[in-house]
Amino acid sequence: MEIAVLIKPVPEAETRLRARADGTQLDAEGVKFVLAGYDESAIEQALLLREATPGSKVRALAFGPAPRTEEVLRAALALGVDEATWVESPAEGADDPGIVARALAFALARVPHELLLGGKQAGDDEEGLVTAAIAESLGIVDFGTVVNLRVDSATGSLTFQRATEEGVESWTAPLPCAIALQQAWNDPRTAKLPNILKSRKMPIAKIPWAEVSAALGEAARPRSVAERFELPPARTGAKMIEYKSPEEAAETLVRILREEAKVFP
Amino acid sequence: MTPSILVVGERLSGHLTSATREAVGVALGLAGPEGSVVGFLAGSSLALSVTEFGELGVTRIRTREDPRLDAAGAGAIAVSVVASAEAVSASVIVTGGTEFGRDLTGRLAVRWNAAAANGVTEATWADASALRVRRPVYGGRATETRRLTGPRIAIAIRPHAFAEPTAGAATATTEPDSGPEIPDPLLAARRSEVAAAGSSAGPALSDASIVVSGGRGVRDANGFRLVEELAASLGAAVGASRAVTDAGWRPSSFQVGQTGKAVSPQLYIAVGISGAIQHIVGMVSSRVIVAINNDSTAPIFRVADYGIVGDLFQIVPALTKEIRRVRGLPAN
Repeated sequence: MEIAVLIKPVPEAETRLRARADGTQLDAEGVKFVLAGYDESAIEQALLLREATPGSKVRALAFGPAPRTEEVLRAALALGVDEATWVESPAEGADDPGIVARALAFALARVPHELLLGGKQAGDDEEGLVTAAIAESLGIVDFGTVVNLRVDSATGSLTFQRATEEGVESWTAPLPCAIALQQAWNDPRTAKLPNILKSRKMPIAKIPWAEVSAALGEAARPRSVAERFELPPARTGAKMIEYKSPEEAAETLVRILREEAKVFP
Repeated sequence: MTPSILVVGERLSGHLTSATREAVGVALGLAGPEGSVVGFLAGSSLALSVTEFGELGVTRIRTREDPRLDAAGAGAIAVSVVASAEAVSASVIVTGGTEFGRDLTGRLAVRWNAAAANGVTEATWADASALRVRRPVYGGRATETRRLTGPRIAIAIRPHAFAEPTAGAATATTEPDSGPEIPDPLLAARRSEVAAAGSSAGPALSDASIVVSGGRGVRDANGFRLVEELAASLGAAVGASRAVTDAGWRPSSFQVGQTGKAVSPQLYIAVGISGAIQHIVGMVSSRVIVAINNDSTAPIFRVADYGIVGDLFQIVPALTKEIRRVRGLPAN
């Protein structure tokens, strides 16, 4: 099976967020970028499927600027991905999900992809649009919030479950198919040192933005543009409820929720 | 300006979801007195939802009667949504930000060539053809404002960010959508089974206005029942930290956090959850947060509005009892 995994560099979860001087977006200066958590899970899933289906290949793709995009692709190679493709992003408009999807769909013309895997959403913009938009570009089905993904070796079809508002759905889908995984249920592996060293020497195929934008034409013009990036006022810590008995704690909390917070039904 | 806005209806047990109702409110606001709002429904047995659209003040409904669409992915439904949007000259398509709505909006970004955004908490016209939207990012730790340039814009709104409309009852008329045939590959996947969410009969996690979550502090699968009993007394959805789902005390569908579900209810009660950043980013945008934990230094108290330091095995049953009492429910 030919598996393509979409990955994205995102700021570390512990990053102290701040806006750029012009206030339009996150100030990326000094921020450490890592593989998004859902993407790590997607790579793990891809590697497990490769192990279960001899002859499979796993290829990672990422869209973004240097050097962070190359770094997460190296991290994917160190985890055991076979090949990596870097789709270079423009200086501006790199966060328009429509452009991200079209750029990756363009790159996928060169990367075999019976199964396209991604995370449910990245830990930064949380759009969760890109996998669906790529699937639309490719004319294939897509499913989000997927867990328990398996390949039925008899039919070659995928089986999986989805946790939606309606409950847990069980699905069977033939390839090709795009899947956005729900979560790190598969406990992603960590890279071993020899593999990290080996990954530094592995080639990464690069598709320059000039080539992508020429292919996209008018669609390379951003239509979703960041105007402001704001941080909420810091929460000042909880108001602690004093009590002498559990009953008193319960009564006080219920009264506060009703009269002060006004959230009680 | 007379914008035409299409609202894609999503149904749960035959009824329009609260997310769709909220989307109708957003669409009515964007349409203004001059514009029009058109509903869209796909699948079978649509009559009930047609009536419900009418009750919200949406009187023109595009319908695609096709039982195959009852259990199809967003890709198949997008074909018909785009045909209807073109038929009514829509400039904006609004959906509730459920899993389906977010998926559909991604498809529309390409199929309808739309400027698209998910998780929208505010939407206003920036000018005659562009929308300005706000949306939480980084797990609610920041908010971004984006400008979406028309003529075609698709947004999925964040559940609970908007009120349901109160527009008076009206009778809706339907127009069948006879748009293009849905390509076979988009219908090839089959849904074989739907199991009810979780073990409680409460609302779905991402759609609930109150969420009660339990963490490692409940000690074991049995201890988690206290969390579920508290949730039941409030009519709340049940969530869990990763510690609980990793230990197998509850299935992964319960997990709230960076690698689980992000929720933003009116009230979030964290029981025995220390507050790892992994969990915080999935619930910090809740309006009011209550934490119950025996460790007064637990990080959860830094993001909570109200805290109780104490033994959850004593506090939670007392709280459940008090809530049942004030709500007039029988003690259990």
